[in-house]
Amino acid sequence: MFYDLHMHSCLSPCAEDEMTPNNICNMALIKGLEIIAVTDHNSTRQLPAVHEAAVNCGIRLLYGTEIQTSEEVHVLGLFRKLEDSQTFQTWIDERMPGIKNDPAFFGNQLLMNGQDEVIGIEDNLLLVSLDATLEETVDAIHAYGGKVILAHVLDRQNSVTTQLGFIPMGLAYDGLEVKSEEQKLRVLETHPWIKEEDTYWFIDSDAHRLIDMSEADNFMRDSVFRKLWGDDII
Amino acid sequence: MKISELIEKTGFSLATRNLETEAEVTGVYCGDLLSWVMGRGEPGQAWITVQVHNNVIAVALLREFSCVIIADGAMVSEDLIQKAEDEQLVLIESNLPVYETAQKLNALGL
Repeated sequence: MFYDLHMHSCLSPCAEDEMTPNNICNMALIKGLEIIAVTDHNSTRQLPAVHEAAVNCGIRLLYGTEIQTSEEVHVLGLFRKLEDSQTFQTWIDERMPGIKNDPAFFGNQLLMNGQDEVIGIEDNLLLVSLDATLEETVDAIHAYGGKVILAHVLDRQNSVTTQLGFIPMGLAYDGLEVKSEEQKLRVLETHPWIKEEDTYWFIDSDAHRLIDMSEADNFMRDSVFRKLWGDDII
Repeated sequence: MKISELIEKTGFSLATRNLETEAEVTGVYCGDLLSWVMGRGEPGQAWITVQVHNNVIAVALLREFSCVIIADGAMVSEDLIQKAEDEQLVLIESNLPVYETAQKLNALGL
């Protein structure tokens, strides 16, 4: 399946307001994607609306969030079930520092319904670190039924390698997100304990604008999706 | 200056147990982005950081720091202490913010 498992809706302050549930799902269809995940910073609250939009336009959806750990590492939690993502929100809420958003500086944090109508504003700034370490975050995502992909692992900001120097040995992630095949080779070169075939490698857009969502360029076998998220995903 | 002397004169507390503290501290490095520290620290320096991930130990060994000072009261886990002890790396705790921690070392001539 052609996928893009990392993008931000208009709930993320850094994303454009055009990243509405229906715009995202319809753009995914136009681009020929077969499965997407919406992964707002430290929140799963947009996902009920994205779910509705995805059902209406008929695109497969994983329910995601991009957690920022106390080390300022970005980690994707991807859930098969909407309910699991919503239960996971309680774990997030307990670890939020409670800093108020300044929309003029950081941007809007818009909550929508399935018709792309604004139904609320998230007051707490989402671009923050949770009071949870990388290891605690990985364990929690698993405990709530999700899978863990370390986001943009070679980025110069908020990646595991920038913050922690290298990918910790023994960390129980399910996949690694890179920007290119060349980045994958660099990860393998610098981490002799990581074997290419032992992990799943994802290339996602991390789109904050509609135009930046992936084209149908990145393909992952159905069997991998089944293995990670269950047989009923296809 | 020896690590033992640094601890005595600053009043910082030793987190690791039963480790040799006679190594020479030759300078100070401050930083929390481990990728950054990996590229810049110098052997013998005392490294001040608020980063408490286990990777701190690997970076400190790689740069051959004399010791690591966890500043600003950042929570040091038993796991981190254990790993440091396994690698014979001295961990010191300071409740002062990074700047004041560094100032104290500066006042000692480091």
